[in-house]
Amino acid sequence: MGIKDKLHVMVVDDMSVSRGLILQALDWMGIQHVDYCVDGESALRKLAARPVHLVISDYNMPGMDGLGLLEGLRKGRTTQRIGFILITGSTDAGLMERGNKLGMNNYIKKPFSPEALKAGIERVVGKL
Amino acid sequence: MKGGGADDFRDSFFEECEELLEAMHDGFDQIANETHDSETIHAVFRAVHSIKGGAGAFGLDGLVGFAHHFETALEKVRSGEIEADYEVLELFKHCGDHLSDLVAAARDDEEVAQETAAALGEKLNEVIGFDPSEAEELPDFEPTTLDFGMLDLSAPPLPAGYVIAFTAHPELFGSGNEPLLLFRSLEKLGTLDVTCDSSEVPPLEELDPATCLLSWTLRIETEVDEVTLEEVFEFVEDCCEITITALEPAEGAEPYSLPDLGAEESVPFPEPPAETPDIAEDGDAPAGASEDSGDLGANHGEASADAAPPPAKAPAKQVKDTKEPKEKQEKQRGGGATIRVDLERVDKLINLVGELVIKEAMLSQSIAVLDLPSENDVSTGLESLKQLAGEIQEGVMAIRAQPVKPMFQRMARIVREAASATGKRVHFVTRGEYTEVDKTVIERLVDPLTHMIRNAVDHGLEDTETRIANGKNPEGTVILSAAHRSGRVVIDVSDDGGGINRPRVLEIARDKGLVAEDAELQPSEIDNLLFMPGFSSKAEVSELSGRGVGLDVARSEIQALGGRVAITSTAGEGTTFAISLPLTLAVMEGMVIDVAGQTMVVPITAIQETLQPRTVAIHRIGAQGRVLKNRDSLVPIVDLGASFQFRDEPEDLGDQVLLLIETENDRRCALIVDNIQDQRQVVIKSLETNYRRIDGIAAATILGDGRIALIIDPDSIVRDVSIPSDPTMQLMR
Repeated sequence: MGIKDKLHVMVVDDMSVSRGLILQALDWMGIQHVDYCVDGESALRKLAARPVHLVISDYNMPGMDGLGLLEGLRKGRTTQRIGFILITGSTDAGLMERGNKLGMNNYIKKPFSPEALKAGIERVVGKL
Repeated sequence: MKGGGADDFRDSFFEECEELLEAMHDGFDQIANETHDSETIHAVFRAVHSIKGGAGAFGLDGLVGFAHHFETALEKVRSGEIEADYEVLELFKHCGDHLSDLVAAARDDEEVAQETAAALGEKLNEVIGFDPSEAEELPDFEPTTLDFGMLDLSAPPLPAGYVIAFTAHPELFGSGNEPLLLFRSLEKLGTLDVTCDSSEVPPLEELDPATCLLSWTLRIETEVDEVTLEEVFEFVEDCCEITITALEPAEGAEPYSLPDLGAEESVPFPEPPAETPDIAEDGDAPAGASEDSGDLGANHGEASADAAPPPAKAPAKQVKDTKEPKEKQEKQRGGGATIRVDLERVDKLINLVGELVIKEAMLSQSIAVLDLPSENDVSTGLESLKQLAGEIQEGVMAIRAQPVKPMFQRMARIVREAASATGKRVHFVTRGEYTEVDKTVIERLVDPLTHMIRNAVDHGLEDTETRIANGKNPEGTVILSAAHRSGRVVIDVSDDGGGINRPRVLEIARDKGLVAEDAELQPSEIDNLLFMPGFSSKAEVSELSGRGVGLDVARSEIQALGGRVAITSTAGEGTTFAISLPLTLAVMEGMVIDVAGQTMVVPITAIQETLQPRTVAIHRIGAQGRVLKNRDSLVPIVDLGASFQFRDEPEDLGDQVLLLIETENDRRCALIVDNIQDQRQVVIKSLETNYRRIDGIAAATILGDGRIALIIDPDSIVRDVSIPSDPTMQLMR
C-alpha cells in the first residue's frame, strides 16, 4: 500500500467544473479517499469531525475564502495539522505572505495540469 | 488534459461559463444603474477568474490570455486603485462581450479574429497603466512538506448517533413539505426512532388540517456526521426549529483516526526533517518549513498530550448557523441549487404527460356514458385524478420554462452594437427578466427580437441632434420587458423615438405597390404595413439594416411560435412592438368544432367571436365569394368543409355557425362550421413529425374519445382566401 492508497483528501471548491477537474486529477493519481465540500464553512465543520491528511482548496470562493478556511483549520484542535494546498489564480505577494503566515503547505497556480497538481501534492506528502 | 478524459467536463464547463457570463453582465448592469453593493465587483471578478481557471484546464490559451488581462484590470477596480467611471465601465462591457465571443468560439471550435482582443487589450492597458503579460512575477513561497509522523489527525470518537428535535412551524404543510419524506431520508442513514408530540393538536372540530402543530424527537444511530444530517433538513429549515444533539459515543468506542501514513521516528515539527521517512522515497521533496510554522510547533506538545481526550458531549447546534452563507451563495448564483437534465428526457416526460391527459379525457368520456349516479366514487376519483394530471402537466411544463434574462442580456449587447454603429446614445432598460418562458420559445425568439431591437435603435430612435432639437433627452431609451398576462407571455420592445412616420410609410407602400394609390388607411393599418413582405422604409440603407431581413420575417418567426405582434406608435413619443406568445408549445386552448362530419380544433387565440349566420348581413361577391359585414368592414367567408374538400360549400347557412377569426396583420375571415362542441386544452402533436405538412393544418391532437382531430392553422387559411390578399379590401365601406 502506497501513500495514495492511505491518503485522505478533502477538496473544497464552489465551482463544479474546477472541483470536477481536481477530483478527476486525484482519481487519475490513484488517490482512493477523496471527499469534497462546496464552501469553506461546511468543510471546516466536516473536517472538525472527520479530519483528513490533506485539504486542497480553491482560494476564490464566496463567503469564506481558501485562506479563511486555512485560518479556521489552524485554530481547530483536530484540524490544525492538516496539510493545506491552496489553488489560486493570483500569486500576488500579499496573498502568498498571508498563506505563509497561516501555514499553507503549498499552492497550485491556476490554470494547472494534472501533472502540476500531482507535483504540488507530492511536494507536501511525498511521492505518491 | 493528459490526466484523464476532460471531454466529460468540457460541456459542463461551457454551461458554467454561461452562468458566469450572465453573472458578469449582471454585475456590470448593477454598477451602471448604481444598484450594486460592495460584493458586486467581487462577483464580476470571480466570474472572469473562474472562466480563466476553467479555460486554462482545457488549454484554451486565447481565452485564458484575454480573461487574464481583463481580470487584472478588474482587480484594479476591485482594490479601489482605479474607479469604474462611465468609460471604464463601457470598456469592461465591451470586454465582457468579447469574452462571451471567445467562450462561444472555444465551445464551437471556431477562430476569433485577434484584432478585437488586441484593441481591447490596449485599452485595458491604458486603464491599468501597464501590460500584465510582461509582468508576471513569481511569488516567494517555499512549499512545506507534511510530517506524517507528527500528524495527529484523530478526532474524538464519533458519537453513536444524534437526537434531532424537530418542531415544525404551523406553515410547514403550506410550504409543501411533508415530514414523512424527511424521516424516510433519515431512515436511509441509520437506525431511526421517531417520537411524535401531538399535544398541541386541538380537538377535531377545531383542527385546521393545513396547520402543522406537531413536533418530533428523532433518535438516529448512524455513522454519518452532523453536516449530512443537516442536509436532509435543508429545504425545511425556514419552516421549523431543528436542534441536533450528538449522543454519547458507544461504550469503548475508538477515537476517529485516519490511517497512519508513515514515519516511525518523529522529528519536532518546526525542524525540517532532513529526509522525510517512508513517504518521500526519492528524497526530492524539499523540506523547508515555513518560518512562521513555529506557532504550530508550539501547540504540538499539548495537542498530542490530549490525543484522545474524554469524549465531551458535543454542543447542541442550530442548523440555522449555516443559513446565512448559503443564502448569500444562492443570491450570487441567481437561484437555488440546480441540476442539469438532458432536454430529451424532459421532452419525453412532457410527451408522456400529454398522453396521460389524453387518457384521462378518454376515461372521463367512457365513464360519462355509463350513466352513474351523480355522486359516486368513480367520478370523485376521476376528478382528483384530473386535478393531479393538470398539476403534473403544469409542473413538467415548468421544467422547460426558463427566465428570459440570458436572452435579454444578449439583447443588451445588440443595443450596444447598434448604438455604436449608428452613433446614437442609448439607455437600455430591461424589465421582468425573471419571467419564465419555454426554452424553445426563448431560443426561437432570439432572431426576431434581435431584429426588433436593432430596428428600435436604428429606425425608432432619432439621432442625437434631432432629439436635442426637439427638446428630448439626447440619450434615447429602449425598453425590453416581459410579463405573464392571461396565460400568455407578453414581450414589449419600446423606444422613445419619434414614432412611425406614417405619411412616409404610406408613400413607400404606394410606391412599391403594396397598397392601392387611392386607399385610405387607418393609422394602425399604416403601422402594420411595416410587416408587409417587401416593405422597407430605409431611405438610406444603413450598415445595420441592410441584411435583407425585414420585419415581415421577424413576424412570421413569431407566428410560427403561435405568437402575435402588434405595433402601437405615437408621433414624437415612440413606438412599441408588443409580442404575445403562448406559454408552451405543447398544449393550447382550442375550440373543438364539427365540419362535414369531421372533428377539428381551432386555436382559441385566433377566434374573435362566434356569430349566427341569421343575425348578420351576408353579401355575395362574384360567383362564389361571400362576405359578411362586421363593424364597418367586409369579412370574407370561408367554408372549412369546402376548403379541405370535405364537401361543396353549403348554399344556405341556416344552422351553421360562423367563427370570426383574426390573424396578426388584422386580416380577418369568417369560418363556416357546423357545430361547436367544446372548448378545452388540447395536447399538440406535430403532424410533420408523424406524417407530413398539410396546408391549412397546424398540427393534430388526440381527443377524449381517442380520435385524432386536426388543428387548423388560421393564418394559412386567411392567407389562402383570395379576396383579402390586398389589405385595402378590408376597408371597403
